Amino acid sequence: MSTTFYPLASLSQITKTPSREDGIPLELEEDLRAYGCKLIHEAGILLKQYTFLLFQNRKQVAVATAQILFQRFWYVTSMKQFGIGDIGMGALFLASKLEECPLRMRDLINVYDLLLQHSSHTLDLSPKPDSEFKYAPMSYFGSTFYDLKDALVVAEMQILKRLGFNVQVVLPYGSLINYLRVLGLTNREDVLARAWGYLNDALQTPVYALYQTPTIVCASIYLTTRHLRLSLPSKAPYCWWDLFDAEWEDLWSVCGYIMRLYRERTEEERVRVKRMVNKKEVRKWLEENVDSDANAKQDIAREKDSGSS
Amino acid sequence: MDAVERENADRQKRWAKEQKVGEGTYAVVYRGREVATGRRIAIKKIKVGQFKDGLDMSAIREVKYLRELKHQNVIELLDVFSSKTNLNLVLEFLDSDLEMIIKDRSLVFLPADIKSWMAMTFRGLEFCHRNHILHRDLKPNNLLIASDGQLKLADFGLARDFADPGHKMTCQVITRWYRPPELLLNSRYYGSNVDIWSVGCIFAELMLRTPYLAGDSDINQLDTIFRALGTPTEQEWPGHTKLPNWHQPSTTYPKTPLRDLFTAASADTLSLLGKCLVYEPRKRISALEALNHPYFFAIPYPTHPSKLPRCAAQLASRAAEEAEGGDIDKMSTGPGVKAAEPNNRKRKLTSPEEFRVRSIARKLDFTKQANSP
Repeated sequence: MSTTFYPLASLSQITKTPSREDGIPLELEEDLRAYGCKLIHEAGILLKQYTFLLFQNRKQVAVATAQILFQRFWYVTSMKQFGIGDIGMGALFLASKLEECPLRMRDLINVYDLLLQHSSHTLDLSPKPDSEFKYAPMSYFGSTFYDLKDALVVAEMQILKRLGFNVQVVLPYGSLINYLRVLGLTNREDVLARAWGYLNDALQTPVYALYQTPTIVCASIYLTTRHLRLSLPSKAPYCWWDLFDAEWEDLWSVCGYIMRLYRERTEEERVRVKRMVNKKEVRKWLEENVDSDANAKQDIAREKDSGSS
Repeated sequence: MDAVERENADRQKRWAKEQKVGEGTYAVVYRGREVATGRRIAIKKIKVGQFKDGLDMSAIREVKYLRELKHQNVIELLDVFSSKTNLNLVLEFLDSDLEMIIKDRSLVFLPADIKSWMAMTFRGLEFCHRNHILHRDLKPNNLLIASDGQLKLADFGLARDFADPGHKMTCQVITRWYRPPELLLNSRYYGSNVDIWSVGCIFAELMLRTPYLAGDSDINQLDTIFRALGTPTEQEWPGHTKLPNWHQPSTTYPKTPLRDLFTAASADTLSLLGKCLVYEPRKRISALEALNHPYFFAIPYPTHPSKLPRCAAQLASRAAEEAEGGDIDKMSTGPGVKAAEPNNRKRKLTSPEEFRVRSIARKLDFTKQANSP
């Protein structure tokens, strides 16, 4: 079993993420993180179709790695500074290299262009919901490709730089199988499938940047057993998660993150998130919604800060 | 300036950059010092933004693996920071490499010295393999020698973690002379045993003082191997004729005992060497087994690293070092320097300037690889 650990966000980074410092509310940040991860996932699925068969299983690993790097990134950077679309694209590109299945830039850019067009299409169509989506490929001589390519190179660099090259990632799936074996749950296929699903969904939440894999795996098993009404020893001093060095408070917190993902979003919330894929829209939203006075003060304070150092 | 940039600036201040010592495809190397202690370091500045595929794969690999590996016999990545548009890796500074030492004709290697280098190589390699990392480019000039004599594996630009069984990997790795036969036959599924073959070649080279299996092309390389070790039979290496690149060789070479070439070597030595150069990859010795091989427990015992032969350039650069500022030595182990002094007298000093540039430049000089493999 893997005993490697990976770096986690610090307490101060968690209590006040850079985006929150810039005035982006907690729920909005979580939704934007989740949406960015969803785009990575969709891009991964689309890319799988036109790359060689032999890379298939590797690619899934790259997608998961990209999502984890993406989540880590927002503990050191504000969404006002970089857009979730660009960083997601950069994370996937970097992860494909880390996992030894490098993507072609053009493929990745095409896919992201399609996804972004699709998301803006769903925004426009709110009044007439049945108009069909048609992808308009980038023009051959246009600047779209070069703009996206520049953004991609910058994003890759920024991720590496801001994470201080801490790009080790441990994926939880192997541990899940081992833990289920220890708990004698391997004969139940629904348990495995559901716990596996929770782990996948957890990739859309920040938990992989906050806790080590044993805790996250325990949380997925815990949610599964609750859902399927399986009883495991859960009364102190005999708690099953103690076997895997997970703390109850941590485990419960991971469950909270995962369950919040399933919260019903209002139409307004959904549209808001889709619109804010790039930083321009995030800035516009901040201008409209956050007290401009406070903003100005913050800016002045920041200028002073950078001036003095 | 946000928290990240502030922290980055703080880190940058810890390292002072001095003169440029080498340049490669994806990086420029500078010599430098840790400001607080005066310790010598190397700064590898990675060029960014000029490549059409973003950041170079080897740069990413190197950093990824060096971040994870901390071992006495693996080069240490001390820090990473970024300046305006560049990434900078701060590495330990190592004066020389094993190739320079092998080529320095004025040095005499005792069997105990070779044992010591082999032990350190296997220790470093075992650590990599234990952490599921293949080095894939072992050769004497990637085995760097620290000022206290410790040997360290370096250049992880081709390294990767073990792939899942059934996942293809590239066979275009490892410098030709050190490349195992299964890679020459284009096997796409391999494991840690490819590194062991390379170590075997290095082992032989230490004894012969010249590259052991020096083929001048990929096809000739296989021929060279067969001539030295005999053409493999189906019993010896089951299934090798089914590998993609296999062609029935025109001549079949007989097996010649290693003893014929390595006349002065002890039985233990030849036993370990033979086990590193087994055709069937699965029967090749593992790094861990090699460390437990009787060779390492027999007399003569390995030389203490500080007493190993060093080459002139290394000593010259140290002398220059001491002349320009005396306070560096508090970092290195004292006896190492003293013990080397008798050696110094024996040696003809070749122009140290030329060597000093080469000491690190070589590691990154890819143009050279075009001429000699």
